[in-house]
Amino acid sequence: MKQLFFLLSITITLFFSSCQKDIVVPQPPYDSRVSIQGSMEPDSIPVIFFNKTVPYFSNSTNTGELVIRSATIKITSSSTTDILTLDSALNRVNCKYIYFYKGTLPIQWNTTYTLSIISGAETYTATTTTAISPVIVDNVSYTSTFKDIYGEHEGVIVYFNDVPSQTNYYRYELLRPVDANTKYREAPLVNPCLGSDTIMVTELGRSVYNDQNVDGQQIKIVVEPAYSHRQGLVCYVRMETIDKATYDFFDQLDKQKLSQLNPFVEPVFLKDGQFGKKAVGFFGCKTRSAKVQFIYPE
Amino acid sequence: MKYYKFIAVIFLFPTAVFSQNATISGYIKDADSKEALIGATIYETKLKKGSSANEYGFYSFTVPTSDTLDVIVSYIGYKPQAKKIIIKENTRLDVLLVSSSLLNEVEIIATKNDDNVNKAQVGVIDVPMREIKNLPVLAGERDILKVIQLLPGVQQAQEGTTGFFVRGGNIDQNLVQLDEAVVYNPNHLFGLFSTFNVNAINNVQLIKGGFPAKYGGRLSSILDITMKDGNKEKYQVEGGIGLLSSNLTVQGPIIKNKASFIISARRSYIDLLLKPFIPKNNAGTTYWFYDVNAKVNIELGKNDKLILSAFNGKDNAAYTGANSLNYGINLGNSTATLRWNHLFGSKMFANTSLIFNEYHLGLSTTQGKYYSLLYTGVKDVNGKTDFTYIPNTKHIIKFGATYFYHTLYPASFSAKIPKKGNKVTINKDSIPQLYSNEMALYANHEWNMTEKLGLNYGVRLPYYFTAQKAYLLFEPRITFKVSINKTTSLKASYTVMNQFLHLVPNSTASLPTDIWIPSSALVKPQNSQQYSLGLFKNFKENSVETSVEVYYKSMKNQVLFKEGTQLTLVSNIEDALTFGNGTSYGVELFVKKNIGKLTGWISYTLSKTDQTFSELNYGKTFPFTYDRRHNLAIAATYDLTKRWTLSADFVFHTGNAFTMPTGLIPVTGDGSLYDGYYYDYSSRNNARLGVYHRLDISVSYKKERKFFKWKYESELVFGAYNVYSRKNPYFVYLTVDPASGQRKAVQVSLLPIIPSISYNFKF
Repeated sequence: MKQLFFLLSITITLFFSSCQKDIVVPQPPYDSRVSIQGSMEPDSIPVIFFNKTVPYFSNSTNTGELVIRSATIKITSSSTTDILTLDSALNRVNCKYIYFYKGTLPIQWNTTYTLSIISGAETYTATTTTAISPVIVDNVSYTSTFKDIYGEHEGVIVYFNDVPSQTNYYRYELLRPVDANTKYREAPLVNPCLGSDTIMVTELGRSVYNDQNVDGQQIKIVVEPAYSHRQGLVCYVRMETIDKATYDFFDQLDKQKLSQLNPFVEPVFLKDGQFGKKAVGFFGCKTRSAKVQFIYPE
Repeated sequence: MKYYKFIAVIFLFPTAVFSQNATISGYIKDADSKEALIGATIYETKLKKGSSANEYGFYSFTVPTSDTLDVIVSYIGYKPQAKKIIIKENTRLDVLLVSSSLLNEVEIIATKNDDNVNKAQVGVIDVPMREIKNLPVLAGERDILKVIQLLPGVQQAQEGTTGFFVRGGNIDQNLVQLDEAVVYNPNHLFGLFSTFNVNAINNVQLIKGGFPAKYGGRLSSILDITMKDGNKEKYQVEGGIGLLSSNLTVQGPIIKNKASFIISARRSYIDLLLKPFIPKNNAGTTYWFYDVNAKVNIELGKNDKLILSAFNGKDNAAYTGANSLNYGINLGNSTATLRWNHLFGSKMFANTSLIFNEYHLGLSTTQGKYYSLLYTGVKDVNGKTDFTYIPNTKHIIKFGATYFYHTLYPASFSAKIPKKGNKVTINKDSIPQLYSNEMALYANHEWNMTEKLGLNYGVRLPYYFTAQKAYLLFEPRITFKVSINKTTSLKASYTVMNQFLHLVPNSTASLPTDIWIPSSALVKPQNSQQYSLGLFKNFKENSVETSVEVYYKSMKNQVLFKEGTQLTLVSNIEDALTFGNGTSYGVELFVKKNIGKLTGWISYTLSKTDQTFSELNYGKTFPFTYDRRHNLAIAATYDLTKRWTLSADFVFHTGNAFTMPTGLIPVTGDGSLYDGYYYDYSSRNNARLGVYHRLDISVSYKKERKFFKWKYESELVFGAYNVYSRKNPYFVYLTVDPASGQRKAVQVSLLPIIPSISYNFKF
């Protein structure tokens, strides 16, 4: 009987124990390409992010290793040519430098710009026209329990009016202070770059919206906050109006991000955009509404 | 119109070509239990003509009236019977064969029938019950589906599971029938065991190509399982006690030789055994399953038989571990079949059935910060009638009609676990029900044209309709046989199949999160065309069968979820679907030894299956998830002595395809939440799991024993699954090492060596 019980114990233990080990999956062949992101905003200096993509298991994934440093980047309009130069800034939230190409001439409204990047033997070009209008944010409020198709969550509620008779695309921005006590995904933002300072960050909504079926009407969006907050925290909400190229790119990123995070969502392949197969990314434009103050009630 | 006249002429033609003949007909049964011996043959030695018993044991055999006939009736594992009979008029001849296990002979020379060579059928495999009862399987549980997975052209789904893929078709393209009732999910314990209790099963047949017109509704295979009728002579009790479950079967006469019953039940006790091992914080962890088969069989006279059979199986599991994967599962299948067999004279056999079946799967899963809910249910009411007309030894005509009323209720949902408040729940009563009707008429003619030529052709006309849409389709089926000599034949077949119900597979989750949906205006019926060609050769009086088959199958209107699909309770599932085509082709080699101390087979399949969806993989063709180039299976049973039997099986196959990102795209906006790395995918299913191989063995010891005054047969079985404990790949996930920040792939393996012991008895 003892022997039978021993065999039973072994079998049940083996039966319900899976094991896992690190393996080397042969890296499927991969031709590195480039990643281009640039959003032209009237009255702002143009900024272009120009990086290379790397094989999935590559060790070289620091921002400094990914930036393509020797590119010639120009943004031209019918009357101006702006040659961008490489620059960097410290992101104090994640304590990493970000690298970008920066111009000198402010972007004009309702002007067509052409981006031209020459890197090695390749040339990348795209065009955008900054003929987009900002919206007016009517009201901002908060709900602790908002129920939508994805379940229940807290949310910042923003009401704004769609610009009628044209196809519009929008994105949410929240300008807010963070410090070492602020949590992101339940982990405090403690790092040496932040120290004990309080800095302002822009919390960009991950979803982008279009005005399909709500043309010219008031639009209500509810956005789940990313960072933790406390009662009385003063923030500022703005709505970005973005063009189709920007919308398409970030919509794909949003969907892929969701598929990376949610194990029950089908994987999303990023489709070719303005640059064809040679590059992923976008060259688009945006404008922003006036800031509206919002104070967290809890 | 001309077309239908032509069809009528070619099916009616055989009825006009006989005269001055008499027919011998009847049933071939086991002498001890009176069970039908499906596939048993009756053969006239001078005329060199014969017939075989159908799924109810019925045969019919027409010969010239003046002859004295030398007839041999045989069935593998039974002592052959020779009879000399004089036929002046139609004669009823029921034959009882004695099983070799009841005789004190070392070996019964019972030739296996040569249907595999001489019948105009291709892609049909009769799965021997001896192998099903002897081959080693997981935790000592005998399993039909595990044996099916060892056949050529059939591929095992995940490690340890009973799911199978036939000739590149998805799992839903297999029609699994138990006593003619559809079983939508024939699995227990996430597929580690099948729902079929071997002690209650009489016969198993797999058809994977050259489908007779009788069958329809699925593209890739028909697995036809027939339950035992129950012993009409005496009461019998048999059972088995295993490590994880036990089973008991009782059968016997209700009215001797007129009516019988069989009831068979199985229940797992993993929940009870696991209890001491489960920590208190995992108190919600539980698992149990049960299944019950029952059948009553009443002979109403010489020409009529009524059969009522039912099956009910349920699974309930919950795992509430401290790690990131929790789940709850509740699934069940129920079927009930009422059949009436009637003989119209000696040449026409009819079966009319009324069938009900129900299937449901409720699944809730939590993985990390996300959860998923799924409910899929199917209810069918099915009526059908099938006729077999055997005018003479050259012709067998089958025709009939079937009607299904389907009710499906699918719902699926996934979301992030809310920081506050309750999770969404699915109330099955609030799921919208989807109704559809499926009917079909068919006719099939098996024609032995000459000694060398055989033709099996037919047509099936399915008509499917819902309130919004109707489909009337045409399915021609044809198989042609040329005998090269008595033991060798060449066969070719062409079949068209349609399928109106679809199981939409989720490509990401490792648990069974697939849902059944019906065809509609948007979701068109799946369609396949299959061509196959085979060379069949038997050796040593059919004791060794060999075959080489090549096939090409094209599949249209295949269904997958669109990229980025996240279903919600308010979303229309059809909006999340994308449609495409698939192709599969391959070559299958099969060598099988039927008789002797050593029995078993070797099967090898070389195949390629891919799919093309305009909205997936940039519109380019990609490999099917279960596209496996090489698939080898060896199954063997060896009688060491009269009491000791050794069995083993070995499987080897190429790993599954899975989708892996090939590149990383940095997105460094302005320090926003978008910042990070995104995946660059070169193509779907662009990577492979490692090869899979496994050896299982078992040894059984049989002895007759006494329990008080009763004698009984006992069997003690020792076994081991995955003898050399290979860590076979189950799935691979990608992660980032928290210490080094390096991206890495982690392979999860499921089942190491699993020893087993079980005890079986039969009174």
